[in-house]
Amino acid sequence: MKRRSLVTFLLLGLICKETNAQTDSSFQSLKGQQSLQLNLGTQGIGAEYVYGVLPELALRGGLNFIPLKANNVFKISGFNSTSNLSADFYNIHVLADYVPAKNLSWFRVVGGFAYFLKARGDIRVIPSDDYKYGDLVLNEDQIGYVDLTVDWKGFAPYLGIALAHTFPKKNFNVSVDLGTYYLTKPKADITGTGLLEGNSSQTPQFQSNIKDYRWLPAIQVNFSYKFKNN
Amino acid sequence: MSTARITPLVLMLLILSACKKPTENIKIVVDTDVIKYTAMINVTDASTGASAPANTTITISGDQASNIYELSGKKDIRLTSGMVTIGLQPNVVPAENNPITINVGIASSGYNTASKQITFTTSQKQQVINIPITKTGSTTPPIVTPPPPVYNNTSLTFTGRCPSRTDIEIRPSVYIYFKKTGSLDAFQYLGYMDKGNITTNLLQLNETYDFQIVYGGDTYKVNQKIEQTSYNLTIDMPAACNF
Repeated sequence: MKRRSLVTFLLLGLICKETNAQTDSSFQSLKGQQSLQLNLGTQGIGAEYVYGVLPELALRGGLNFIPLKANNVFKISGFNSTSNLSADFYNIHVLADYVPAKNLSWFRVVGGFAYFLKARGDIRVIPSDDYKYGDLVLNEDQIGYVDLTVDWKGFAPYLGIALAHTFPKKNFNVSVDLGTYYLTKPKADITGTGLLEGNSSQTPQFQSNIKDYRWLPAIQVNFSYKFKNN
Repeated sequence: MSTARITPLVLMLLILSACKKPTENIKIVVDTDVIKYTAMINVTDASTGASAPANTTITISGDQASNIYELSGKKDIRLTSGMVTIGLQPNVVPAENNPITINVGIASSGYNTASKQITFTTSQKQQVINIPITKTGSTTPPIVTPPPPVYNNTSLTFTGRCPSRTDIEIRPSVYIYFKKTGSLDAFQYLGYMDKGNITTNLLQLNETYDFQIVYGGDTYKVNQKIEQTSYNLTIDMPAACNF
């Protein structure tokens, strides 16, 4: 725990230092500059290639992926259970970084879109209590489990802001992206096994509950290496 | 206000707009088909066709008697309105060349005792065993109940309700009986409801019927006037909600 806190502290310190260094307002044309950046954030990890197409505009293309697994983060009220959650989001994206004010060249408006090759959340809910059916005690196979699945695969527009210069002044910099994807309307599904097989009838309600879960926030730190100046 | 100030505010509002709980109003649906090989026992007064008297008792004997349970999983097997559904506990199944046989004994004050052999085979998961009992000393011939008339098909979907657990729904797999509402006749066998669903041709259009199931030592009833080809009916089943 202490080690993780220390790493977080050092990382934040690095970001602050680099961001301060990169947020001075002297404007340098983006056109012709190129960099590669690795990123880490709510989208998982990823990589991007960045190219300056106009003095105030750069394009970046890249990919991100986040395979996530967690246990017991999901509860159904009144039903004692354990749950296994897995989330897989893989996207390829193209974004445009626009510097709206030359005297605030560290501030960018970012827009674009991504194609989510995979955007899926799966939750398996397994009853945790011994299930007594009358005087019979049933085993796990007889009781079964419930799977809840949500799939957002498809195109998603992105809008956000970025802090710190698009390209490093020298070779390296750190920047931050804050934004959101607007995902396709999710397809939700519930299936069950054993005595819980009938839970597929709850799919329409689940679909209705989840239909507005389309905003995927993106908070991301980018570590850039510039390999070509203009 | 500058773009730099507006954008994060707009983003935050958009993200917060999707805060409905994913599990809101979702119910846990539980099936009751734990006991797969079942036999519905219906004990009636042979001279009238009415249900056996309330003091009628049932005993199970035979090598496999210890593996016989009431449909709700209870070891306590007793008649309710002359009816009970029994079956093999889920870990015991008949083999192709080794069916499981038990004996059922019926006793009631003022009636001759009766017994019947019931055989569970791989090819028959449900069976109805009618046991008419005769009064001691009676010479009245047993009444013969004619088969009910046949009409067009009607589909019924039953959902079991747990009065104390509104977050749970039951999909009953039970034998169901019926009679016309207000009729003094005994309930007649309608069929076996598999996971809440039954299609029958025994219901007449524009007639109102009482439907009855016996489960866990209790009878549960619901009625419905038949005016269309399918209905969703809810029936209280507290005996299926004890978990």
